[in-house]
Amino acid sequence: MKINAKNVNFYYGDFHALKNISMDIEPNTVTAFIGPSGCGKSTFLRLFNRMNDLIDGIRLEGECLVGGQNIYDKSVSVDELRKAVGMVFQKPNPFPKSIFENVAYGLRVNGVKDKKIIAETVEKSLHQAALWDEVKDKLKKSAFELSGGQQQRLCIARALAISPSIILMDEPASALDPISTSKIEELIFELKKVYTVVIVTHNMQQAARVSDKTGFFMLGELIEFNDTKKIFLNPDVEQTQNYITGRFG
Amino acid sequence: MWSRPKITSPDGLDDLLTSGFINLRFYESEILQFNKNMKHTEEELVDIKKSISEMWSLVQSQFENSKNALLSTNTELAEVILSREKRVNAFELKIDSDCENYIALYSPVAIDLRLVLSILKINKTLERIGDFADAIARFVMEWSNENTEKELFDLLKIENMMGCVEKMLEITHNALTDENTTTAGIVFSTDRIIDARYNEALSLLAPYINEHPDKTLYCLYLTTVLRKIERAGDHCNNIMEEIVFYVDAKVLKHSPKD
Amino acid sequence: MFTSTSKKKSVQSIVFLLFRIMSYSVVAILFLIIGFIVMRGIGVISWDFLTKAPEDGMTKGGIFPAIVGTLYLVLGSMLVAFPIGVMSGIYITEYATNKQFVRVVRVMTNNLGGIPSIVFGLFGMSLFVHTLKFGDSLIAGSLTLGLLALPLIIRVTEEALKSIPDVYRHGSLALGATKLQTIIRVILPAAFPNIMTGLILSIGRVSGETAPILFTAAAYFLPHLPSSMFDQVMALPYHLYVIATSGTDLEATRPMAYGTALVLIVIVLVMNVLANLLRKRR
Repeated sequence: MKINAKNVNFYYGDFHALKNISMDIEPNTVTAFIGPSGCGKSTFLRLFNRMNDLIDGIRLEGECLVGGQNIYDKSVSVDELRKAVGMVFQKPNPFPKSIFENVAYGLRVNGVKDKKIIAETVEKSLHQAALWDEVKDKLKKSAFELSGGQQQRLCIARALAISPSIILMDEPASALDPISTSKIEELIFELKKVYTVVIVTHNMQQAARVSDKTGFFMLGELIEFNDTKKIFLNPDVEQTQNYITGRFG
Repeated sequence: MWSRPKITSPDGLDDLLTSGFINLRFYESEILQFNKNMKHTEEELVDIKKSISEMWSLVQSQFENSKNALLSTNTELAEVILSREKRVNAFELKIDSDCENYIALYSPVAIDLRLVLSILKINKTLERIGDFADAIARFVMEWSNENTEKELFDLLKIENMMGCVEKMLEITHNALTDENTTTAGIVFSTDRIIDARYNEALSLLAPYINEHPDKTLYCLYLTTVLRKIERAGDHCNNIMEEIVFYVDAKVLKHSPKD
Repeated sequence: MFTSTSKKKSVQSIVFLLFRIMSYSVVAILFLIIGFIVMRGIGVISWDFLTKAPEDGMTKGGIFPAIVGTLYLVLGSMLVAFPIGVMSGIYITEYATNKQFVRVVRVMTNNLGGIPSIVFGLFGMSLFVHTLKFGDSLIAGSLTLGLLALPLIIRVTEEALKSIPDVYRHGSLALGATKLQTIIRVILPAAFPNIMTGLILSIGRVSGETAPILFTAAAYFLPHLPSSMFDQVMALPYHLYVIATSGTDLEATRPMAYGTALVLIVIVLVMNVLANLLRKRR
């Protein structure tokens, strides 16, 4: 499903967090957002599953379209939107439940009761998240018994279980060790075959490794949005070059 | 679009399926092959290696053809070489940009970095050897009317020299494919043989020009061909050095070889 | 170098000694009280004591109606206080968006918790006993005790919910769960042990209260068990008060009083230990 942002302005109270951002994201691609802390990249990401709604005193101007529909329209049900637009957070946040129940959660809250379907979906999702082999013998154990990297993959499986079209990832590997990070990155790269993935990352190399397109944000502005190859070899904007080469200031 | 699907049948699944809430593709297909052995960054590297290998085969056949065209004054074959030279150049550009992208995107280190660096250099060197084949083909076209003498080529041992270069190309190609540098010695000694043959050829050519003053110009051009064959040998030598740098992480450049 | 002056050292050791003595003495006092009660009361504890009604002007027999009465009162008060307390705790932490309102509720809850229990007793008497005409009864006592326990349960629920990190809420909402589903399926199960701890603590508190039931539920003496919600009941703390102060023969009832006290202490201690176990298991 494609994502379009048209002249988006976003405010936290008086703070102008996103300044006139327009962006088109194609289906079945990985798009990475990079930029210094507080540049608005996470805020922009959270627009697309309306997680910003949880914060008081926000204001949005412009349009956010998912699959061609304005998701801030009054007729849109937020929980239905979030089924289509899954999200993985910075810190692994499995529920204090068993591994199985964590993955089954999304199905259960959406009214799926058939045990067979739930079991099949859980297995499939864990396969997709490249976690099945590691957990197949301990599905009934608490999710907290897994390592950080496994927990994060569990969270990805949890998001995949309700078969969204889009997966948003907010620095999904920043709390993980290099091996786990590498596994998550490989997973992201594979996921784009079926899903549209948007990822926020502090790690420029990660953006380079996994994404097709990269957006560089600074002080609430989208400085450059281009093919990842172009950004990392020959960016159009000097600010982008300064940032990715580390010559900041 | 985002309205809640109504669930009417007992298990509700059919409705969920028709409402698009659960993607059919998710249930019906197994298109995702997640548990692969290789990371996508490794796959890219394998692709680059594959490209350079294809380019290698092309340059080998170009050089072999240039030998045959020269020895039998086959202008048709020379034409083929000239037209294929464009493909060699295209390969060079492609591999160059692949390597640039690989370094820009994946920041390779250690053996991956050595591989990319050596491929960058091998790429350039192979293109030069391709150029030599092209130049020899042009020589064949230029002098096709000249009454070339088979004896002169035999005297100068041109077939032998070019055969040596072919052998070197083949050995180095296999060395990269197999990541095996035990054949490095053969390459280095073959290069020395070519150098010796080149010197011999020049010393034999001088009296020949004396005897056939009418062929002086032809013979002068022929020395450029000899020179190119000798340079091709040197280039193969350099390629082998790059492979040793990649596989064994040793720098052999400008050091005496045994 | 590196050696502190002896004066510094001695001041420090004296102060720490003081701290140590103080903290040990707290433990010592607790053991003293318990030991005292156990020594005096253990003699009368018997199966008959626990299962028979008082006889002969409470100089003989047991305290069975008081035990049962206390259990009824506890049960009744929790039936009132637990749902109300938990629900308002959930509302305050999860739903209420008006911060001003939340602050007011919180201050009021704390004030409610600070009101002396005898005032609850008076209030219960005027509202439940007289205005609503329940009379001195189990239900009036339960409601009064419920009001007393309410602030504690609200506070504990609030704290329990607040201790659940937001990432769970976000994780659940991001999966398309509604707020209610999030609370019921993720937040409450995770907060359950802590909420249960609050429940048990308030049971301990309620079971030991005398003042609220003094005017609302407690009977001086009842040879039988209550047969309906509108009957009077006997209760352990009140029974203890009665036989310790206004019996017909104080000397004869004294051992019974210690026995009653022992039973009461054991009930409260068991509740506290249970609460601690639950909290640790989390």
